[in-house]
Amino acid sequence: MARFIIARLGHAIPLLIGVIVVIFCVLQMVPGDPVQAIIGQFPVPPAYRASIEERFHLNDPLYIRLFQYFVNLAQGDLGYSFRAQRPVLDLIVERAPRTLLLAASGYAVGIVVGIMIGVQSAVTNHRSVDRFWNALVLVGYAMPTFWIGQLLVIVFAMNLGWLPTQGMAPLIDRSTGFAWVLDRMRYLALPMTTYAIYEATRVARLIRTSVIGTLGQGYIVTARQKGLSRREIIQGHVIRNSILPVVTAMGYSFGTAMGGAVLIESVFSWPGVGSLLIESIRLRDNQTIVGVVLFVAVCVILMNLIVDILYSWLDPRIRLAR
Amino acid sequence: MAEKLKHRSMMRGGWTALAAGAMVLVGTAAWAADETPKHGGIAVIGTDGSGLTTLNSHATSATPVLMVSDLWADGLFARDGKGKKVPHIATSWDISPDQKTYTFHLRAGLKWSDGKPFSSADVVFTLKDVAKFNTYQTQMLPNMESVEAPDANTVVVTLKAPLAAALEGFDKEVLPLMPKHIYEGTDVLQNPANRNPVGLGPYKLQAFEQGRSLTFVRNPNYWDQPKPYLDGLVVAIITDTQQQINALLQGEIDFVKLPYTQVARVQEAAKATGKVFARQVEVSAPERASLDFNMRKPPFDNQKVRQAVFHAMDRTRIISDAYHGFAFLATNAIPAQFTELSDPSVDYGKLYPHDVAKAGKLLDEAGFPLVNGKRFTVDLTYSASVFNRSTFEPIAQILAAQWKEVGIETTLSGLDDQLWIDKVYKQNNFDVSLVSLTGRTDPTLGVDRSFLCNPNKLPYVNPSGYCNPELDAIAAKANGAAAADRKQFYKTYEEIVARDLNEISMTNVPTFHGFSTRFEALHTQFDVSFNEYPNWAEVWLKNGK
Repeated sequence: MARFIIARLGHAIPLLIGVIVVIFCVLQMVPGDPVQAIIGQFPVPPAYRASIEERFHLNDPLYIRLFQYFVNLAQGDLGYSFRAQRPVLDLIVERAPRTLLLAASGYAVGIVVGIMIGVQSAVTNHRSVDRFWNALVLVGYAMPTFWIGQLLVIVFAMNLGWLPTQGMAPLIDRSTGFAWVLDRMRYLALPMTTYAIYEATRVARLIRTSVIGTLGQGYIVTARQKGLSRREIIQGHVIRNSILPVVTAMGYSFGTAMGGAVLIESVFSWPGVGSLLIESIRLRDNQTIVGVVLFVAVCVILMNLIVDILYSWLDPRIRLAR
Repeated sequence: MAEKLKHRSMMRGGWTALAAGAMVLVGTAAWAADETPKHGGIAVIGTDGSGLTTLNSHATSATPVLMVSDLWADGLFARDGKGKKVPHIATSWDISPDQKTYTFHLRAGLKWSDGKPFSSADVVFTLKDVAKFNTYQTQMLPNMESVEAPDANTVVVTLKAPLAAALEGFDKEVLPLMPKHIYEGTDVLQNPANRNPVGLGPYKLQAFEQGRSLTFVRNPNYWDQPKPYLDGLVVAIITDTQQQINALLQGEIDFVKLPYTQVARVQEAAKATGKVFARQVEVSAPERASLDFNMRKPPFDNQKVRQAVFHAMDRTRIISDAYHGFAFLATNAIPAQFTELSDPSVDYGKLYPHDVAKAGKLLDEAGFPLVNGKRFTVDLTYSASVFNRSTFEPIAQILAAQWKEVGIETTLSGLDDQLWIDKVYKQNNFDVSLVSLTGRTDPTLGVDRSFLCNPNKLPYVNPSGYCNPELDAIAAKANGAAAADRKQFYKTYEEIVARDLNEISMTNVPTFHGFSTRFEALHTQFDVSFNEYPNWAEVWLKNGK
């Protein structure tokens, strides 16, 4: 196992180098003036412009900036954000737990709900219950997440006034203990639900197809003939054997999600990695953009690795190999 | 003999008092009966947070930074709702008869928010060592002969030549005073105090959570005790304007600058709930929605084409559909808000009325006949940033529809701010650019940039390629003339621009603020003008919470 993990991580290094080179080249080609983005709407005094350009090496040739980036990266330095006036690593470390909270809770709810819907839909294949869930899942899947988010805000925040419209926590925070936790759950509720709706529809579609396939397998027929109850068959045989496609899809998308569900974070002003990326692109804070993309790439690689390990646990026939 | 002119500020410059009252409250006005301020409570203000790379507003003109610096910083004077200058750190000021020497008399015994004493040396230091980065000082500083501190409470600024708008460069928004003991001997732009400032304002920064909020608490050393009344203020960073309004309506924030598309929504909520107000800043720096033409290439290198597209426009549709009725027609290049400088006899409404037939005739004369219902295609580009998009997209669509009536096909390109700046100001690869720029407190500061030569391709400065030495000379005369003489130069200025039309000023738009009825005694808190935000030192809440 250890050799497998080390080998997989070793293979990731050239990939990450490639990601950095590509993103540097892309940013080089995109027009934009970080100095003006800092200054605002008025002309910049020439001395000020020169000072910023020199300080952040904005006029250095691409290969020098790239080389310097790799030198810094080797020392654990992801660069410096001129926008936040802080190391990029600090920003990612600050934002990543927020995105993790949102993504993990959204995935957890989404996967559980998705599996329940998908299984029920599959075992009632072509009956009215199946048609109902199919239609609902299709509608949920087709709706853009930002629109779902806005609908939830309109209903639960604006009209009913039950939940806050945006943010991660109260701006004036006096709560402690359990009230502190409850406060944060109120802020998490809508973005998490938005996330969960999207993921649940994806999972439901995948699991339905997979369960229908599993139900046709010979060992299920045998289990029935052995007199196992419907619940025992589904829990003991069907779900476990149907879940591999879901693990694959969810593992990959969870890695990507650590880059922030950009639209959801935007709709709810959730100050996570996705918001950081958007702000950085807007102000051409290139080192932060590179840092976030690198972070996402690492997350995807790690999640793929975890998926491979999960495979061997879920299906003992699959063995890890170099 | 030198004639001392105490508080000449109130009568100088084109920005001076407009006839209308200081404040117009739109919606349900629920004025507080109890006028006795109460201490306590925390208020929340919303901003999109763009440009909050620094809190030092000498280093940026980004709106959120200016809004935030109103909390921690102060300056020599501010303005009331009528545009009149109100002493703050300076108790008074004198201007020599030759308009070249400005003497400011400062309050004695003031302290910075860190408890260190303030003196005239700080003002001198700000002008000499910090203001060189300030985008608003590009006119005044090069013209400054000297700045001296003859005693601890006096500052004397001497100019090389008279500059009519010089005093505008000393107000608190464009010249926040900076502490010498913090910045002296350091790299001003890299000083950590830029993110954790020490100032003379009513509040001091307690926490800055990037991308989320800034928390301010009362500055115990504030010069105007017992103010401020609040225990603190939180600045919420909410990037989307729609979310800002949602948060305002739900009571999550107490103040926000309103986009024009949201004013009516806040007005309706004010009537329905009485929990919010929408307020227009009566004496506001005009936002000038304008079209810049690329005069380097056809078709807009032809004056008749520029005139034709002006005739083809029905600007009233822009006001009704894009600005929801909250803007008004621009009379000429100098916004009507500058009442003592703008001459309404140069009237775009009469020079270029909506006249499709005349537009077609001009285009025929310019060599663009109508063939199969079409004359030519132009690219209309604009910034589609969060704040601009909701207004600029409908304006662009209205223009495209109106120009189509005279055979001009229009391709719309709404771009990210940075792409738009590159396309228009750096590459000059555009036909028409839609922009809205603030006129600030004087044409010298906010209007000249649209019409004067721009050989260095500076962003947000005349991108048209138009460079008329005659106009530049007139602008210089207007800038250096005595107040009473400026209008005549600006009339010539308006005539030249109306003839050459490198830029069409379509509308002038006032500023709107949305705020919560948690605030009391609104007439003192919101007795502000031009680009200023509420007097946060004056703000107090019902029952202090």
